[in-house]
Parts: sequence; C-alpha cells; structure tokens
Amino acid sequence: MEDAPGPPLLQLRGVQKSFGPTRALKDANLSIPVPGVVHALIGENGSGKSTLLGVLSGQTRHDTGIVQIEGHSVRFGSPVAALRHGIAMVSQEVAVAPDLSVAENVLLGRGLVRGRTGVSRSASRAKAHEVLERLDFDIDPDVRVRRLRPDQRQMVEIARALTADAKVLILDEPTSSLTDDEVQRLFATVRRLKAQGVAIIFVSHRMQELFEIADDITVLRDGTTVAQGGAGSFTPESLVEAMLGQARLVDQATRSEPASVATANPVALRVRALTVTGLVEDFDITLRRGEIVGLAGLVGAGRSEVLEAIFGARALDAGTLAVDGTPYVPRGPRRAIQRGLALVPADRKTDGLVLAMSGVTNMTMVETHDAPRLMPPARRRGAAAVARLCTALRIAPGAVDVPTARLSGGNQQKVAVAKWLVRRPKVLLLDEPTRGVDVMAKADIHQELHATAAAGSALLVSSSEISELLTLCDRVLVMFRGRVVADVAAADTHESEILKLAGGHPS
Amino acid sequence: MSSIIGRAWAATAQFRLVLLLVVGMFIVFSVTQPAFSTSTNVQNLVANSALLWIVAMGMTFVLLSGGFDLSVGATATLVGILMAKLLELGLPGPLVVVLCVLAGAVVGGLFNGVAVGKIGLSVFVVTLATMTSLTGVVSLWSGSNSFLVTDPVARWLATERFLGLPMPIWIMAAVFLVAVYVQNRTYFGRDIYAIGGSPIAARLSGIHVPRTLILVYALAGACAALAGTIGVGRVGAAVPTVDGTLALQAIAAVLLGGTALTGGHGGVGGTALGVLFIAVLQNGLSLAGVASDWQNVVTGVILIIAVAGDRFSFRSQIGRLRSSRTPGPSDPDTALTDGAQKAPSASPDSDVRAFPLDNTLSTSPEGTRP
Repeated sequence: MEDAPGPPLLQLRGVQKSFGPTRALKDANLSIPVPGVVHALIGENGSGKSTLLGVLSGQTRHDTGIVQIEGHSVRFGSPVAALRHGIAMVSQEVAVAPDLSVAENVLLGRGLVRGRTGVSRSASRAKAHEVLERLDFDIDPDVRVRRLRPDQRQMVEIARALTADAKVLILDEPTSSLTDDEVQRLFATVRRLKAQGVAIIFVSHRMQELFEIADDITVLRDGTTVAQGGAGSFTPESLVEAMLGQARLVDQATRSEPASVATANPVALRVRALTVTGLVEDFDITLRRGEIVGLAGLVGAGRSEVLEAIFGARALDAGTLAVDGTPYVPRGPRRAIQRGLALVPADRKTDGLVLAMSGVTNMTMVETHDAPRLMPPARRRGAAAVARLCTALRIAPGAVDVPTARLSGGNQQKVAVAKWLVRRPKVLLLDEPTRGVDVMAKADIHQELHATAAAGSALLVSSSEISELLTLCDRVLVMFRGRVVADVAAADTHESEILKLAGGHPS
Repeated sequence: MSSIIGRAWAATAQFRLVLLLVVGMFIVFSVTQPAFSTSTNVQNLVANSALLWIVAMGMTFVLLSGGFDLSVGATATLVGILMAKLLELGLPGPLVVVLCVLAGAVVGGLFNGVAVGKIGLSVFVVTLATMTSLTGVVSLWSGSNSFLVTDPVARWLATERFLGLPMPIWIMAAVFLVAVYVQNRTYFGRDIYAIGGSPIAARLSGIHVPRTLILVYALAGACAALAGTIGVGRVGAAVPTVDGTLALQAIAAVLLGGTALTGGHGGVGGTALGVLFIAVLQNGLSLAGVASDWQNVVTGVILIIAVAGDRFSFRSQIGRLRSSRTPGPSDPDTALTDGAQKAPSASPDSDVRAFPLDNTLSTSPEGTRP
C-alpha cells in the first residue's frame, strides 16, 4: 500500500491567505507523500505557521492555492469538515472539559455511542478504552480530566482526534508546557501512531526536539515556504538561516552597536534564586543603573513570569531580592511602586491602560496612587512631566485628552510606557514594550527607553522579537523552560545564536 | 455661549434617550393632565422618589466599580428597626440618624465590601447572601412587629419643610452634590472608574483595589441606611418588611442613566435622570388613571432600549477603532492579534497570543504572599 505510487496523502501548493491588508500566507507549500511520517513545520513568530495550520484544520479558509488530500482538492469551511477528511488538530491550549471523565472527553463531539435510551455508558466506555489502548495510554477512563497532568490531558486530546480516524494529526507546539519526562512520553506516543500509519504534523520551536522526532521539515518564512526536505538534510545552523533569511543575517552584521554601559555603576536590582514553581527556576540577575538587559525566550519560557514576580503581581515561591542594596520582598504592585519599581505589562488593552480613561488620567495614575483619596486631585500635579513625555515620545497634542480607547496602538503603547516615567523609576520592567506598534512609534519608545536608562534607571526588557532586544539592550539573558541558559553581550551575538539558545540548543 | 450648550449636549450622550423621554413625558403629562404640572404635584413627585434617588446614588458607584448590590433593600429595613430601637433607648434623634447611616456603611463595607473586594467572591452571590441574611435578622430582631416612631426627628426627615420645599428634596440635593463631588473631584472617584474599567490595570498602577471596593460598598450601605431612616419618618413607624425590589429598581435607574453594568462608564448625573424617569412615569400614569402595572412594563421596555442604544453607540465606536488600526510594517502580527481577540477560532498565528497575564494576576485581589 505504502509503496503504491498513488496520489500524495496531503499536498499544499501556492496557498495564499490575507487578513485585511496583512498577507499572512503568500506561497505556502507542504507535502506529505505517504502516511506514517512525522513532518515538522517550523517558522518564526508571525511567519504564518498558525495560519497554515488553521487552513489545514478548517479554522481558516484560504484565498487561493491548492490543498489536496489523497488527490482530492478540498477547502474546509469548518473544523468538522477537516475532521471528516481525516485531519485533526491538537491545539496549543489544551481544550478539554475538566469536569467530564476521560472517556467522555475522548468521545466529546460525535463519539458517544447511542444506546436504547440515550447515551450508552458501557458502549461508550468500551469505545474510549479501545482508543486509549491504541495509544498505550494507561489511565482509568472514569477519572475526571481535572485531576490529570498537562501531558495526560494532551493525551486525552490526541485520543479524541483519533476517534475521528484521523489520517493526519496536527500537534501545535505540543511540548511547550511539558517537562522533559513528559516530552519523552509524548514522543513515544507519536512514534506509536507513526507506526500505525498516522501522518503527524509537528510544530515546535525547540530545535533539538525537531531533529529527534521529525522525518521531514518544512520551513516557513514571511508566509512563504522557503525550505523543505528530509530532516537529515538540515543542520541547526541551516534551519535557523532558513527561518531568518539571508537579508536579516546580513542586516545584523551592519547593526550599530548599542551604547555599552559602565559596569561599575551601582547595582539597582539584585535577584537571587527567584522561583515560581513550574514556571521559573532559580532566576538570577544583577541589574546596574543605566543598564538595559533583555530577556529572550520562547513562549512559555517564563519571561513574563519573571517580571511579574519581581513586581509582586505574581506570587513567587522562593528568591532573595534587593533594590539599591536594601532587601526587597515583592508583595503586591503598591509595595513595588513605593520601592521605585515599574512594570509595563504585555497587554496594554487590559493590563496596561484603563481604555475608557484619557491619556492624562492614565499617565498620572501611578504618580498619584498614594495621594489622599478624598481630596480634590491637584490638576497641576504631574502636568509638567506629562507635557515633557508627550514631547519626548511625540504623542500628538490633544491625543492625551480623549479616552485611550480612541488612540492608535502606537499611541496607546506610548501612554502605557509613559505612565511609568512621570516619576523616573529605579527599575523599569517592560514586557513586550513595542508589540504591535508601527516602526515610528517603536523608534520613539526605544529612544525614550535609552534616555531613561541614561538618566540612571535600570531596565529589564522581555521581548519575543530578538532583533528588538539586540538593538535596545546591552546584554541579553536567554531563557529556556524557566531557566536562564545564557547571558550574552548584545554586541557579541546575533539573532540566529539567540534563536538557537532559546530553542534549547546549546551554542 | 453656544459652545457651552454644545458641550452640555455632548455630555448627555450617555443618557440622552432618558433625558429626552423625561422632558417629553413631562410635556405630555403637563398638557394632558392638568393636575400634573402643579407645584404641589411636582414636589410630591420628587419627594416621593427620595428613597429610590438616595439608594440609586450609592448604587451608581457600585456599578461604576463593576459590581452591583442586591442587599440595599434589606439594609434599609434593618436600619429602620435599628433607628426605632435606638430612639427607644432615649438617644437624641439627630445622633440616632448619624449612627444609623454609619451602621449601614459598616454593614455594606464589612459584608459586601470585604467579601467582594478583599476575598474576591462573586458579587451576585455575596450581595444575595447579605440580603438573605439581613432579611432574616430583621424578622428575628423585630419579632415581626412594627415599631411606632414618634420622635420629632422622624417627622423632620420626611415631612418638614425648609424654605418652602419638603425636607426629602433638600436631602436628595445634598446627597447628589456629595455624589457629584466624590465622582468628579476626588481620587477615590477616579479609582472607582479605573477599577470598573480594568481591575488589573488599576492594581498594577498601585491603586488599592480592595480598600476602594470596601468603601464603595460602604457608601452604598450608607445611602441605603439614609433612605431607611427617611422611610421610617414617612410611615411614622419601622416596618419589618424588606422591599426586595428596591435594589433592582435602583439598578434599573442607574442603567437607565447610562452607567454600564460592566463598570467604568457612566455617572450619577444620568442616575438622577433615571430616577426622575421612573418618578414622572409613575406619577403621570397614575394621574391618568392607568393601572400601575403598566409602569413596570414601560420601565422594562425603556430599560432594554436604553441599554441597547448605549451598547450600539459605545461598543461599535471602540470596535471600529480597534479593527481600523493598521499594523506596522515591522510587525505583521498586529492585525492578527486583534482578530484573534475577536474570534479565537480564526486566530491566524497563535504565536502572538503569547503572554496572557494568568489567573494569579487577574483574580487575586491585592498583594501576593511569597
């Protein structure tokens, strides 16, 4: 059967998809000729990977291009349609009903067996058992899913996909929240399914894992398939190069070196052995005044958690901290603010700003957080600082007087940053400081951050954009699964090295 | 001059429908019911809405903070009993009124405020539980008896006239002015809007969220208590029946006035109109001989229309602005992120959904214990 020169199991040619003005997919190609292979799909954030998975799993309808399954052209309007053609996806966020049993979750959807009076429990149970057997997943089908570990929940989802007799199983970053042991158990399952003739599309940023499990690799960049072939034909270096593209590699070489900072400056923030169980392990940092340090790492590497824990917005389980040499115990944002800390959270719309309020109100909110509550607000308070920041960040005049909901993303982000600069913080923590803003706004924010550092603040910047970290920071800490795996000077490194480190690949 | 009118008109955007309805009804009733526009009738109309007015003012702050309070009716009745008992002890009338208002604040702040603001329990469950418990306390404490109140302070609160107007109208005006001051001219008022708009952003900005919420529910309790004492004065007795609809009517008035149930948007000015709407409707229809049940029908229908209208204008505005943002060339993910928020199933690149602030951050009321 496998050797018969029939039509390929799955074939994508020249697939395009636009969301408004954004072209998410320009020329995506992917080919799985025979069943029973593990096909890795890899690409940077925003490369169109998830759009491609959406097209395959029926969540997104492609604009043009060919998607063929066993020679038949398809164009899925819904996930159910994709399932009917044998394509099932286990998404990044585990989607199980926590209060239903394993069996019920496995059979969720069309799976439950109908008996004489409604659902037949025994027949359903037997059917679930059969699927779990196939996965060699040793679990009581009656146990509530709530009580399972993350990898077991994932297994439940895989089992659910198999009840639909999936020929192609898509695993979207299945390892991002698993421990090493759990990853190995997952891989054993993947190999078993492969032996049973299921084709698996495996998405991961972790390069070691790719080389361990994948037979073939497809690389997406900027909505275009830029490389495909057997896993053996790639090296970690060639894979990174394909992901970044020649232009970016050259661009890095000519990048201006960030101003280096005197390493003799006094320490502004010292963190030792900060631990948030399951998310951050033994995080250490020594942050000097005037220094800008970056945090790089994949989604789920623990970057945001580090910032939140330092700011007291998230409970930490261990760690010794000191601000300006005096011990500091994170206990809520108020305490942090009083010690001169500041946090620009990643999501400006829900966490960074009160959208219904004006820019001025948002910008003075921190500054006035400890003013007497029943006294009339001093209208002048902070006005000079607000005016200065509007000029420095080039926020349009008048823009700060209307509700921030009406501002562009760039201006919103400027306000979200500026509110922490009205009174210059000792330590400024930034989470994705320029996510989703245009180039000009980004440059304005970067400039102001440099000025803030030059004035003596210490900055810790987390960003999923490595190029941003390299232009902004003096040095970069790379995190992998909650641990710092490297501390490199920005001037001595380049994007591909950090990407490799962040993927868990030792340089 | 015209710009002042223009700005005043713009400021009514949140409650324009109700404003027009109140004015419209007033004109219609004045023309059709000769008895309507007489000075006595208008005074009665306003003074009779004193209880709802005062309770709704406190309720406005609760809604602005993103909650609501079902227990105000029970608080008002309980405080009425307290008033009768304290006067029985021979305490001076004015002192009793002050004590009653303080007691209402303590009840609201201690039960509702702490449970909602500090512990983070569901507003519905907490205020329902408070209402239920207080109703029980009222029956137990009063033995289901009414208490005659003959102290002059009771008459003073409800029927005395000052400068030609009934005292309840003066009290309403005072409560309103204090509410406007708190809302517009204090950091406390701004905190309430911030918490209603985004509790996480407020907390991360250093605003003391639990304390603010405790004060908000205390304020609602104090308003309910003040209303309770006026109620006693009006009847001349403390009656142990809890008006279960008072809280719901107050919430309806606040919503009619354009304050959002989700918080962060609206204000006491609109609430004043919401109360007047109910009062004018009630008064006009009863003068016209229409069965009082129709008042409820009309109030309900108008409430839906007002809230729907508000949703269309405000939501669509923000929605349009969000979707019209164009992504920067450096980051093609922008438009995609926004799309993902609106329709998760169509999220084109899950990489951009990266860092949600998790439960710890969004639910824990304040502070963390390392």
